[in-house]
Amino acid sequence: MPRYDGKGVKRRPLRRYGFFIAVAALVGLLLLQTSPRLSEQVQPVRTAASDQLLPMSGPSVMDNVAGRSAKDRRIIALETEVRELSQYKAMALSMAERLEVYESILNMQGEPAGAEVTARIMAEANGPFAQALLANAGRLNGVEEGHYAENQHGLVGRVVQVGRRSSRILKVTDFNSRVPVMGEVTGLRAIMYGGRDGYGRLTDRPEAGEFVPGERIMTSGEGGLFPRGIVVGQVVERGDQPRVELAMEAGQLSYVRLKPSTLIRKPEDEPVTEDVAAELTDGAAE
Amino acid sequence: MKRLSGVSGTIFRRWDEARPGMRLAIGAAVLAAVGLTGLTPNVVLGQTLVWPYAAMVAAAGWGRSGLAFAPMAALVFFGLAQDVTSGAPIGCFALVNVLIFGASAGLNQMFDADRAGDLGTAVPLICIALGFVLVWLIASLSGGHVAKVLPLVTALVITVLFHIITAPLFDLGIRRGQNAGSAL
Repeated sequence: MPRYDGKGVKRRPLRRYGFFIAVAALVGLLLLQTSPRLSEQVQPVRTAASDQLLPMSGPSVMDNVAGRSAKDRRIIALETEVRELSQYKAMALSMAERLEVYESILNMQGEPAGAEVTARIMAEANGPFAQALLANAGRLNGVEEGHYAENQHGLVGRVVQVGRRSSRILKVTDFNSRVPVMGEVTGLRAIMYGGRDGYGRLTDRPEAGEFVPGERIMTSGEGGLFPRGIVVGQVVERGDQPRVELAMEAGQLSYVRLKPSTLIRKPEDEPVTEDVAAELTDGAAE
Repeated sequence: MKRLSGVSGTIFRRWDEARPGMRLAIGAAVLAAVGLTGLTPNVVLGQTLVWPYAAMVAAAGWGRSGLAFAPMAALVFFGLAQDVTSGAPIGCFALVNVLIFGASAGLNQMFDADRAGDLGTAVPLICIALGFVLVWLIASLSGGHVAKVLPLVTALVITVLFHIITAPLFDLGIRRGQNAGSAL
């Protein structure tokens, strides 16, 4: 039964003002984030909120009551082991390629090893916004911004945000991700970014030549963001353009391995200062 | 069978008798449950499931009862949560939800579209579709490139299916002429 009262009619404009104020405030909030400096201020809030999502990834009360969690934990442990072992396969392939280069160039600087963390993917954003993953390992686990992530098949992405117990990984499928890559057969270098069709696109090619369909694409290690020789995918023809079918998509993205990226020390300024020269001389004398 | 229909009859009767505040609380609980389930890995037979934008359905549904502060606050809250999980700029989904809520309220008031009739069916769908266009627009503007359309189209289809199934849950039960503010 329709009901009219004077009090409600009076309150209606107030709700309308409230609506417009809410819209204006939210538009303002969005506009504020177009400034890089101000959007940096929002990141800690987002990171803190991501950290709060973690308790949901644990076993539920019902799982504990039904005794499923112990079984699930065992399955997860075994799956982790299988994943780690299958990583050795990919590692062996990339090392063979690397070894070839090492043998031809003597005294080459190797890739520094660092602490690695296996993390579970808690949430995946594949919508229209940044293609990102939320992993349940953060600063407390030794993860730092710039670490790269890979699964048993290949490169997944790069850590762009780290919380205490969580980290956000920008996937290589994202339009804004840039990965220096090279062809395994042709040796051609390029920069890969995520395309709208789910394939990697190759741009900024310094050398003349064409990638061979079917050849594996690996990280070139240039720029130090990723170490050299991580499998990224393989070249496929899409139209007239070579595209990269991403290896990471071959399996589920439930777990990733977070590894530190190559650290390249900044060379000293020219001319070398007296202190550094003396240090080098002392080192040589010792 | 008779007992089952009796139980469902009781549930429907209770729902009809429920006050708007209770209906809002139940709707919000449904939203929270859908949102939290969407965060857990939802892979079936190797295929990742597309999850609906449930808050948009709620916004379109709650909006039919007119503007009110409580649903608006709930929509802003769920929108901000979705911003965090989806990597969207903070405020994006909150804004989209509030705008859908306002559009739904406005269109229903303008065209006198009550719960029945073609217009009553079309208005929420139009609002949801407009919401997705807005999400695509914000994603394109914030990303600096034209955002992918396919994930949004699949999410839109799933959201419309979700709307068809759950629309009665997001009905606050206030008919035109009654005042939402007096109930909420």
